[in-house]
Amino acid sequence: MSSVARNRTAEPVPAFTEAFERLRGDAAGSSGKAFEQRRAAFERFHALGVPTPRVETWKYTNAASFVNKPFALAPRISSEASQVIPHFAGGPKARRLIMVNGRIVPQLSHVGGLPAGMVVQPLAQVLAETPEIVDRASVNDEPEHSFEALNRALTEDGAWISLDDGVALDEPLQIISLLTNADHAFMAHPRHSIRLGKDARLHVIMTTVTVGPGESLLNQVETIDVADGANLTIDRTSQQGEGRSSIIRSRYVLGNRSRLQQSTVALGGSLQRHEMEVRLRGTHSEAILNGLMMPLGTEHVDTLIRMHHEMPDCESDQFYKTVADQRGHAVFAGKIFVHKDAQRTNSYQKNASLLLSDDAEIDAKPELEIYADDVKCSHGATCGDLDPASLFYLRSRGLDEALARSMLTFAFTGEVFERIQDKSVAHVARKMILDRLPGGERLADLG
Amino acid sequence: MLDIKDLHATIEGENKEILKGISLTVRPGEVHAIMGPNGSGKSTLAYVLAGRDGYEVTSGSVTLDGEDLLEQEPEERAAAGLFLAMQYPVEIPGVSNMYFLRQAMNSVRKARGEAEITAAAFMKLVRERAAFLQVGDELLKRDVNRGFSGGEKKRNEILQLAMLEPKIAILDETDSGLDIDALRIVADGVNRMRSPDRGFLIITHYQRLLDYIVPDHVHVLAKGRIQTSGDRSLALELEKNGYGGVLGAEFAEAAA
Repeated sequence: MSSVARNRTAEPVPAFTEAFERLRGDAAGSSGKAFEQRRAAFERFHALGVPTPRVETWKYTNAASFVNKPFALAPRISSEASQVIPHFAGGPKARRLIMVNGRIVPQLSHVGGLPAGMVVQPLAQVLAETPEIVDRASVNDEPEHSFEALNRALTEDGAWISLDDGVALDEPLQIISLLTNADHAFMAHPRHSIRLGKDARLHVIMTTVTVGPGESLLNQVETIDVADGANLTIDRTSQQGEGRSSIIRSRYVLGNRSRLQQSTVALGGSLQRHEMEVRLRGTHSEAILNGLMMPLGTEHVDTLIRMHHEMPDCESDQFYKTVADQRGHAVFAGKIFVHKDAQRTNSYQKNASLLLSDDAEIDAKPELEIYADDVKCSHGATCGDLDPASLFYLRSRGLDEALARSMLTFAFTGEVFERIQDKSVAHVARKMILDRLPGGERLADLG
Repeated sequence: MLDIKDLHATIEGENKEILKGISLTVRPGEVHAIMGPNGSGKSTLAYVLAGRDGYEVTSGSVTLDGEDLLEQEPEERAAAGLFLAMQYPVEIPGVSNMYFLRQAMNSVRKARGEAEITAAAFMKLVRERAAFLQVGDELLKRDVNRGFSGGEKKRNEILQLAMLEPKIAILDETDSGLDIDALRIVADGVNRMRSPDRGFLIITHYQRLLDYIVPDHVHVLAKGRIQTSGDRSLALELEKNGYGGVLGAEFAEAAA
């Protein structure tokens, strides 16, 4: 207990307890045994406490800032189709699940015509009808993580996606998560469960956007199970406004000869943290994680990766780029664990950063922990300003300094969005990046 | 047109003078070659003229059509009509060559108070000029210089020159790393751009390039000064007798 106590600083505001009480009997899965599980999770949240900066994984990001505002439960409002349509990606045949303030809106969603053996449902429906199957996924053990425990206590909805063995969806499935404007601070705790059976194949596009001004906390948990031979691609974009905070925790388990490829472009927000835990639990599987962080103003962006090679002959690759300008702060902490049975592991990690202002901060913490003896691992972190020779080259061709700097910054980010699988998402990511660059509109037809 | 008067320059923060009083005038229509051994200050001269950071002009002046160039930023010099084809062109991933050319053209036009070129007019012009440099559509669509061979990079430099139509073009060791076929394509491109209104300053180590681009004047730069000037025959004499033979033993290059 003492170690737990030492790690506590700020008491979470009473708003969490109020929210918990309000959910009782109201939200799906908030009565009977399901409620007892929520209560246990809530107690777990309190017991674990809010991590202090002395906790290794929270050294550069202030966890207390997630729990120091009187966040109320998210307002139960829907959105107009006109707010959602501009964020459509994945082509006309894509299926779409629309989530507003952490709750699925079936009227705006379109998940018809799925192949036999594939289920896409709101989690709320599963919690209401068959709560016992929710915790059956292999990645659901006891949460040792404050915010995951909080999510489990307060979750109302999310995406429940399941593909039986051999099932493939050819077109992407897009999950649009929209957070509305509101006159008071609110929170949402969606929980996604994605399960791919053996040899199943799925391409998910996750689009997170905030609309208008407002303060919000998005505390999202994803449990993702990729069985033997299955193939999952995820393209993520997140565009958040000032005053918005989010913590997304993605837990992946991969079976034999399976493959995960994820690209993330997360921009804006006051604070965005994405934690990924990948467990390569079968042989010959592969995990690829790409991403871009680009904090401006006083934004804070944090990426935490825990890559576990548990079995032999797997390959993993982390490729993250960071651009910090003004007083922006970016954190990249990637750790590769090679467990003792994981012989012939190939694991790579690269984090390249551009530090564009004296007041910006980038903390990069690459780590390796290796218990097997026949492995190939590498990690590299670089940090610098724009290359003076390149700047001179562009300016000597007549481009003014601001435009030249923006063009080189854009070029630096290019390697990330080139790795995004879906063309329409890559296009959105490109626009998101250009919108953040001085004179970016002059670079719009750059392609 | 381009007037360089008693130009002295050092590397910023160092006392060592690299250029020790260079005077040179390039008139419209003329092609001047500057030859010199390694370390003579050739590339420094090119960079100082184009305005690269890291050099300090300690005295002297450079004007283009009477306007002081040394006070201007690199982009202002480009707008004023100065172009430097670089020895080591930079790769810019994520920016297509075609887009870059258009952006450069429009930046220069904008700075001169001219209207931007229309997309159609640009396409017509770029296809025409790219054709004589044997730069195909594939290279135009690729990212600027990314994965280009040495020869492709140099042809691309000359394509930029052809699109920007400068008053004075400086070629810094454009022949380095080129095989004979690439050299001929590059030289043909330069020759097509020769005009009574345009001056060239061709910086080279070897006289080989000057077989294809025939200069009106040849200057030998060594130890930060122009040691001697002449016509084309001076380049041939250098080829035959070496820098040591022409300038004296103290200028001889160490045998490789």
